[in-house]
Amino acid sequence: MMSTPTLTKDPNTLAAPAPSPATKRRGIKPRSWAPNTGAARFRSGARRAGRGIWGSGAIILFLLLWELGPIYLAPASTRVFLPPLHVVLQALARLVENGQLQNHLAASLTRSASGFGIAVVAAVALGLLVAWYRSLDQFLNPLLEVFRNTAALALLPVFTLLLGIGEISKISIVAYAAFFPVLLNTIAGVRTVDPLLIRAARSLGLSNFQLFQKVILPSAVPTIFTGIRMAGTSSILVLIAAEMVGAKAGLGYLIVNSQMSFLIPDMYAGILTVSLLGLLVNYLLVAVERHFSRWRTAVGSQAA
Amino acid sequence: MTSGTGPPPKISLENITKKFTVRPTKENPEGSVLTALDGISLDMSAGEFITLVGPSGSGKTTLLDLLAGLTKPDTGRVLVDGREVTGPGRDRAVVFQQYALFPWRTAAANVSFGLEGTGSDGKRYSRKERAEKAREYLDLVGLGGFEDRYPHELSGGMKQRVAIARSLAYEPDVLLMDEPFAALDAQTREQLQTELLRIWATTGKTIIFITHGIDEAVYLGQRVAVLSSRPGRLKQIVDIDVGDRSGDEDVRSNAAFVEHRHKVWSLLHDEVRRAQEAGHAKIQPDGSAPDEARNVSTGKAA
Ligand SMILES: Nc1ncnc2c1ncn2[C@@H]1O[C@H](COP(=O)(O)OP(=O)(O)O)[C@@H](O)[C@H]1O
Ligand SMILES: [Mg+2]
Repeated sequence: MMSTPTLTKDPNTLAAPAPSPATKRRGIKPRSWAPNTGAARFRSGARRAGRGIWGSGAIILFLLLWELGPIYLAPASTRVFLPPLHVVLQALARLVENGQLQNHLAASLTRSASGFGIAVVAAVALGLLVAWYRSLDQFLNPLLEVFRNTAALALLPVFTLLLGIGEISKISIVAYAAFFPVLLNTIAGVRTVDPLLIRAARSLGLSNFQLFQKVILPSAVPTIFTGIRMAGTSSILVLIAAEMVGAKAGLGYLIVNSQMSFLIPDMYAGILTVSLLGLLVNYLLVAVERHFSRWRTAVGSQAA
Repeated sequence: MTSGTGPPPKISLENITKKFTVRPTKENPEGSVLTALDGISLDMSAGEFITLVGPSGSGKTTLLDLLAGLTKPDTGRVLVDGREVTGPGRDRAVVFQQYALFPWRTAAANVSFGLEGTGSDGKRYSRKERAEKAREYLDLVGLGGFEDRYPHELSGGMKQRVAIARSLAYEPDVLLMDEPFAALDAQTREQLQTELLRIWATTGKTIIFITHGIDEAVYLGQRVAVLSSRPGRLKQIVDIDVGDRSGDEDVRSNAAFVEHRHKVWSLLHDEVRRAQEAGHAKIQPDGSAPDEARNVSTGKAA
């Protein structure tokens, strides 16, 4: 369904205008080449269309398999646990209609946004400090290494024990998971500032603070946003898991609760929502990251 | 060196020595002290254009850093207008070989970089004044209309023009240039040399220009200071008189130019040989060298 525009657009636009004006205007002599260019254009257009089909082919095949597999391939007993796509979409529509999906989505979004927001602010601040003060780095680094290499989900029971199963516990684990990518990227971003730029700024008489504000921070921004994008992905991941363990609302809860209530299509509707949400969040964060990294294109060639 | 009765010197180097501690390596576990500059004394008058040549590693960049106030000498003093240099200041500007433009800023924003905030002289510019100055100085370097371009959208020569405009924009008296044209192709380099002379003539700056190109040194400088190979000592200062360089004729082929060029070449030649014997294999016989350590040039040097 996503592929239809690319599929239909390309062959039409290339086939219609390309050969007619080009061939006519060329007149008699270069006849041999006019069809050639037309053909070439057709070929390149066809190639592009082909790439479009090929690029969405796997998805289409997967959806087809999901739709047809349970009906024609699977035994009836399995069909109950793996309903075809249209049944899941119907369940999704029903959940949207009675407002349940929106409620769960809102609960999840609130939690992940709060945790993510807290993490970004805290990690950027700490990262800047750690990168700026070498002694702080030497002091904190071993501990940070330990925490960073401890999977957030491994600590889920600890968060639950200490903070209960309420909102605070979930926001905390999201914040924890989102914290480290941002922290490490902030540190790396500050560390990798071109020393020549620092010399240039110093030669212009900038104070330490101005140097930080006008050179180090702007040059670290793209790297920081890479960390933020990674954090966005992992905050959703961890939240869903946390909601599966103990919650009264949220997409993770919807999935697990539907499973336990034997509302299998609802369960798949929840999963589908999670993956669409993940795609959307990633797409947005990639766009933001690209926006802040515009000047980086071809920075490497700057030295030449 | 030019002691006498004239006006007081703009810049005065008094017996400068600069040493670096070399970090311990495998071959040399003790670490050691490297003398980069040894007993440099030099006076420059206001509005003078002096070029500084020397083999790679002879301490040219080190000397420039001292003048810029980025580092301090171990002995001796650097005086500008009779006052000792204690740090960077808006009376001096540095132009680097690798342009050192801020890639997230447009050309205009790069040029106005040095105008932001309150300067060491207490001057403050409004946003509008800064934009005006940026335009003015981009015009001066021939880049009018390129205000909104980002560095990655500019060629090497254009980037160096922006860097020069940035240095000029806050109106320093002294321009310190560290092999600014070494990474450019020959044609662009010649073009920028001519432009620099024009800018020098219109603005009356005092310019110290480091190069390892003998032609460049003789073409640009009123005097050429030749540094010896490590430790850097001032070997000789050659007064240059090649006539009017602003005209259309090819100064580089007139007899005076060739003679001066040869003189500097001979002075440098001995030093380059000595430097090579001391292990600087990368230096070319003509005195140019793909610079080591801090300046990673593209090898297109003169
Ligand atoms: N910060 C530093 N620490 C140690 N040695 C240095 C440092 N800066 C320069 N040097 C050494 O001092 C010498 C002169 O360097 P430099 O001024 O860069 O030479 P040039 O610019 O003439 O090629 C070189 O041998 C270089 O290795
Ligand atoms: Mg150098």
